[in-house]
Amino acid sequence: MNKLFYKDTIAGLEVSYEQLFTDLANETSYKLYCKFDSYYNVFKEIILSILHGQEIILLDADFSNDETRKLLGDDFLKTGVTRIIEPLGKIKFCDVHERIEANKDSWKITLFTSGTTGLPKKISHTIDSISRFVKKEDKRKDNIWGFAYNPTHMAGLQVFFQAFINQNTIIRLFGVERTATFELIDKYRITNISATPTFYRFLLPADHVCASVQNLTSGGEKFDEKTMQLMQQIFMNSKIRNVYASTEAGTLFASQDDVFTLKPEMLRLVKIVDSELYLHRSMMGESKSFKLTDDWYATGDLIAVQTETPFSFKFISRKTGMINTGGYKVNPAEVEETIRLCNGVKDVHVYEKKNSLLGSIVCCDLIRLDDCLTEKKVREFLQSKLQEYKIPRMITFVESIATTRTGKISRIR
Amino acid sequence: MVFLIMRNNSSMKEIREIIHLVLENRGKPHTNSISVASDLRNDFGFDSLDLAELTVRIEAEYDVDIFQDGVVTTVGEILEKISNKQ
Repeated sequence: MNKLFYKDTIAGLEVSYEQLFTDLANETSYKLYCKFDSYYNVFKEIILSILHGQEIILLDADFSNDETRKLLGDDFLKTGVTRIIEPLGKIKFCDVHERIEANKDSWKITLFTSGTTGLPKKISHTIDSISRFVKKEDKRKDNIWGFAYNPTHMAGLQVFFQAFINQNTIIRLFGVERTATFELIDKYRITNISATPTFYRFLLPADHVCASVQNLTSGGEKFDEKTMQLMQQIFMNSKIRNVYASTEAGTLFASQDDVFTLKPEMLRLVKIVDSELYLHRSMMGESKSFKLTDDWYATGDLIAVQTETPFSFKFISRKTGMINTGGYKVNPAEVEETIRLCNGVKDVHVYEKKNSLLGSIVCCDLIRLDDCLTEKKVREFLQSKLQEYKIPRMITFVESIATTRTGKISRIR
Repeated sequence: MVFLIMRNNSSMKEIREIIHLVLENRGKPHTNSISVASDLRNDFGFDSLDLAELTVRIEAEYDVDIFQDGVVTTVGEILEKISNKQ
């Protein structure tokens, strides 16, 4: 039980499983509305809520009072409410599994999507829907996880559950500087990392090798081939896996590259209409904000079918993310993917700027690895690869690119 | 008056640089004959994409959308828009 549970260099915290279980055993209350700066407190409150079969509602630590009030409406006044619970007394790790099973019907977790527009949506999940891809296996017991997500979001929860259920160590990487990230990976011999492509690009250039990592998972955004290749150089001993997950439905598909192949039992749960992926309601969490048409939920993700049997597809873009420049539709994800192929580019964010002549014009912010890369060189590189209207008309060199709370490139400007 | 002339001279220099940048971006040669009378379409061969780029770059520099109130044809008209804003 002295095994390390959680290490957080930003908070200056190190907690063993023994300490965690002591903390859990003595708790006499928990907060229904979980809003903590400390990732450890978030994890502890989630475990407490499961062990007691009580609902928990996760709020991002950096939600302002105004945001929280807008999200919760009248329930805002309840955010400080503490629920009294019977102390659990001494418990063992094996008790956790029994209690999870016993509290399956009474526990639920509610979180908010990080949506690209408007207010985040409130979505609730059960144990089953949130742990669809979580596996407890003996071979996973020595895994050490690099934690590279916000713990109150779906992807972070998936990593947390996967790690905790196998009694693995979790090392926080989210928000850690690049060099320190490599130091942590090497020092703790991290074996598994799950993160967004934006997080992985933050690790570039590929001038360091992390030999301990065996499994690298990418999700949340399209994982372009160039980044994937560069990650294979840094994480040379690692398998790379791509997952498609959403706050609305949890993790749905996984693949070794960017082509997702559906298992036969999944076929009746998805459909494609006008290139858009629809999910059956049985795959979804619960939310009043879901707009269902005959039990089907439109994901807003556009896909291209690769093969009919077995059914496989690639994600192309978000339906609403296209830039209309003088009547031409530009997919920013396609442009970003192409720009990343250019030597000297670390990361890029393509966006639209309103323009009185064309309606919108394609622009980008670009992080370069070396100052020799000029706007002219980028444009010359793109000229043979993209149609002229897709090439950003203004390239701004920046030090960093804004990300969402989940660590994806922010599309809000 | 002297101040206005100096300011216009400095704007002219920057507008020249922006026009050169737009030309360069489209693989077109620099031109030494950029004057207030230069016609953006006829003298530089700017198409709507070039003009849109010019607008965005000038807006980033001077916070003026030169095409907001209608079509701008010459370099002189751009300088006038900038001058009005300042």
